[in-house]
Amino acid sequence: MTPLYILTKKEYVQMFREFKIIWLPLVFMFLGATQPVVTYYLPSILAALGGNQGITIDPSMTQQDGAQVIAATLGSQFDQLGIMIIVISMMGIIQSDKANGMLDFILTRPVKVGAYIGGKLLSNFSFIAISVMLGYFVSYVYVNFLFNNIPFLEMILAIVFYLIWVLFILCFTFMISTIFNGQGVIALISIVCLLIFKIFSGLHPIIDLLNPAGMSQHAMMVLITGSIDSHLYGNMFITLVWITLTVTFSHYWISEKKYHKN
Amino acid sequence: MKLEIKNVTKKFKSKTAVNNFSMVVEHGQCVGLIGPNGAGKSTLIKIISDILYADKGEVLLDGKKISNMKREIGYLPQYPDFFHWMTAKETLFFMGQLSGISKEKLIDEVPAILTKVGLINEQNEKVQTFSGGMKQRLGIAQTLLHKPSFIVMDEPVSALDPIGRREVLNLIQEIKHDTTILLSTHILGDAEEICERFVIMKQGKKIEDTTINKLITNNQESVVHLEIASSDLKWVELIEKLPYVKNVELIGKRAKVRLDNVQLNKNRLLRDALESNIDIVKFEVGSSDTLEEIFLKMVVSV
Repeated sequence: MTPLYILTKKEYVQMFREFKIIWLPLVFMFLGATQPVVTYYLPSILAALGGNQGITIDPSMTQQDGAQVIAATLGSQFDQLGIMIIVISMMGIIQSDKANGMLDFILTRPVKVGAYIGGKLLSNFSFIAISVMLGYFVSYVYVNFLFNNIPFLEMILAIVFYLIWVLFILCFTFMISTIFNGQGVIALISIVCLLIFKIFSGLHPIIDLLNPAGMSQHAMMVLITGSIDSHLYGNMFITLVWITLTVTFSHYWISEKKYHKN
Repeated sequence: MKLEIKNVTKKFKSKTAVNNFSMVVEHGQCVGLIGPNGAGKSTLIKIISDILYADKGEVLLDGKKISNMKREIGYLPQYPDFFHWMTAKETLFFMGQLSGISKEKLIDEVPAILTKVGLINEQNEKVQTFSGGMKQRLGIAQTLLHKPSFIVMDEPVSALDPIGRREVLNLIQEIKHDTTILLSTHILGDAEEICERFVIMKQGKKIEDTTINKLITNNQESVVHLEIASSDLKWVELIEKLPYVKNVELIGKRAKVRLDNVQLNKNRLLRDALESNIDIVKFEVGSSDTLEEIFLKMVVSV
């Protein structure tokens, strides 16, 4: 049994014990359901709350395309509340091990830093990816039920692109958690930076190419237009480079033992 | 296992925590690393167990770099803390597997080692419910699990209450026959009980490397311990002027009198006391300092 396997298994057991395995998928399923349901019932909600103050709603104006609704699930649910939830659930990923001395302890055993980081990322990414996919799937089912059908292939392509952005979110939070020691600081820096990436996406083609949040943009575009943007591969490559950089930097930081407070 | 520490220096910003420290620990020895708080003991221990890097110098175990010899080292931190959600048994399985022991072997060995440290009845309880002493014992179990040939312990008993302290000291007594041990402490009595050899540290430097017997013989100077009734304390001031009295230290009713030649002059002092009609409570010839005092003198004066 390799250290990588043992450390990965330990992460899964921890998720079970801390009930993360229940609440995180539930939160994403809830987020996934919100967008289609709220959009569908929006005319009724407005009608009920607006009263008869002279507001009339033209039902044809609010009738949205299913692809747009599921794209909005990614863009306005997962990319806002979703990012915050991922960051908050992951902010202690390294920080807690530093704080209680387990990182030191584990590294006094014949364990490579790579195995430690690998175990953390493998377990947490697979778990978050499954949570996000579950939420996405719930959204897909609701959209198919309340709006119109979305082509299966586009649905799959979109989530694959989106998961690359999720991997970046995880690796970025991982790096911040490695460098800083306070949970609040880690959450603040991660959330602010990731939201800034998100805000800048779609502003300018060159910025988009370098921006990891561009992957989220591409996922939405695949859903809405049904075709793949020509910048996708460049953006995907650069996002993967960013991911490699954050992981390499974390590896450097831990193996050079720069995480000690003094 | 022979441990060599060669010219290790470690700086934290402007403070030098360990300053050009060298020593050799031979196979089977038990060495106590002693020093006041802030002397750099923990830093040195962390360098030895490869948690910190030294700025200069190196640590070798059997001639090989310590980072390649982790399997041979057992490390007990000052405040061992494990994953709170794991049980004692799971903790040992986790750490054991990380040390490269197979699961089958651990199934045999974990209960045995838990019995040894007295945690067998708590094996399925979560670590978060453990007291400091129990965590320390679990830490020792973890240290011994992979049968290291060299064990490093950082203040293994300092944070414990007298009962926990006794339990842990007895445990160390038991294991010291099988392994080489280096432990740090700021309580001399603990080291005195377990170790034969002391290395005393102050401000990051090694100031003494000695055995307990040498330490006492070197510092042994016979003096007269005198205790007299408080009404006669004036006499103590008088004897200080006697030609064969070197000096007198007076603490309360007790005086420590240093003489030129104790063997020759102690009776003269006694005679003098009798002639002056002094109310003597105690008159004793003995060594000048307890180990504690020797240690204090070294650490404070050097």
